[in-house]
Amino acid sequence: DMLVQRANTLYFRYTRNLVDNGNGKFNLMILCWGEGHGSSIHDHTDSHCFMKILQGNLKETLFAWPEKKGNGEMTKKSERVLRENQCAYINDSIGLHRVENISHTEPAVSLHLYSPPFNSCNTFDQRTGHKHKVTMTFYSQFGERTVC
Amino acid sequence: LPTGLSQWFPALEVLDVSGTGLTEMGTELLSLPCLHTLLAKNNRLGGPGSLPKGLGQAPLARSLRVLNLSGNRFSEVPPALLQLRGLRSLSLGGNRLQGIPPDIQELHSLEFLYLGGNFITAIPPELAKLPSLRYLVLCDNKIQSIPPQLAQLHSLRSLSLHNNLLTYLPREILNLVHLDELSLRGNPLVVRFVRDLTYNPPSLQELAGRTVKTRNIPYTPSDLPESLVRYLSLASNCPNPKCGGVYFDSCVRQIKFVDFCGKYRLPLMHYLCSPECSSPFSSASQSSTSQSESDSEDEASVAAHRMQKVLLG
Repeated sequence: DMLVQRANTLYFRYTRNLVDNGNGKFNLMILCWGEGHGSSIHDHTDSHCFMKILQGNLKETLFAWPEKKGNGEMTKKSERVLRENQCAYINDSIGLHRVENISHTEPAVSLHLYSPPFNSCNTFDQRTGHKHKVTMTFYSQFGERTVC
Repeated sequence: LPTGLSQWFPALEVLDVSGTGLTEMGTELLSLPCLHTLLAKNNRLGGPGSLPKGLGQAPLARSLRVLNLSGNRFSEVPPALLQLRGLRSLSLGGNRLQGIPPDIQELHSLEFLYLGGNFITAIPPELAKLPSLRYLVLCDNKIQSIPPQLAQLHSLRSLSLHNNLLTYLPREILNLVHLDELSLRGNPLVVRFVRDLTYNPPSLQELAGRTVKTRNIPYTPSDLPESLVRYLSLASNCPNPKCGGVYFDSCVRQIKFVDFCGKYRLPLMHYLCSPECSSPFSSASQSSTSQSESDSEDEASVAAHRMQKVLLG
């Protein structure tokens, strides 16, 4: 079991690993993405979000906020592949995004800074624009595995 | 692989030859009795000699647990690979696979199978015979439908199907009770009720068979030719709980939406015994589409409630 985990991914989806919570002013975390792992389309609960790629590549797809009474496919605004050491920034006034590791051979690692910190956000169904509030959890905090 | 590898390092357990431009891995592998992890991603493997002959008889066949061949040029799963009986984890992501061989079921210890980023068009039902499979990745392929047998993968925790050509899912997918994650984005899933599925009217044999079954007409093997006895034993029950009927070959395929509390609407394929079954509440009216669309008292919605946390993106 350990052999399988070590050579592949220890987890079935990307993990969020808290590094520093800046006296309550920010959250600094490391996200580990296995091959093919991606996030849902999400907002950022009125916070500033910085992201830096530490290893591998991540594709960021920007989406427009769905119309209030819209019930159709969400509009893609742009997409780009962020390489190692590249940085990105987003907040709710810029839009929504989906982040994914599109590589089938390499994992990816990214550093995220959120200020102020938040532990819930909305995820969006790309086909309909319907949103759904979710609580975000940490796989580990300060190096210790978080057990839910 | 360098000659003499197994002489210099007979106790070798982990070998990583990724990104070395290898076009084949030779007989040196056959003499490494302790090897449990072989990583050979991003090479030029895929041709006829990629894996050495006699792999099935080598100690490797029982010792190897992890094999990563992602980022190579395999257009089919090499038959030699299927002899690695002890394999727990296999990755063939980012190759050129067009299909999955039914003999994949030989890898009966497999827990982790990564086949994302290929050109796979169909999934063989035999894939469901892997009893320990927990993590199955089929994203970024050209898959058009999922065989309902996949619901027999009782150990499955994670199923990745994003970026394929799926228009619906089999209803049986709701039976995967241990599933924690399911990704479906980037598929052309139908969003509106589809009613135009073709329906071939039942044959006289089918009609007679249905009557025998639904009216419980008794018969013994001596009453009928063997072929008809066999035919009668293949009756399927109509899943419409209000119907209680059976069907043999003639059925309506209908897409029913399972509404995950207004968040996601998944189209699931049902087999029903007749067009009338698709709208049990209406009296054969054509405008029952909205009825069926919003019908969330379906028995499936109970199972759907269980899966609502499962969907990703």
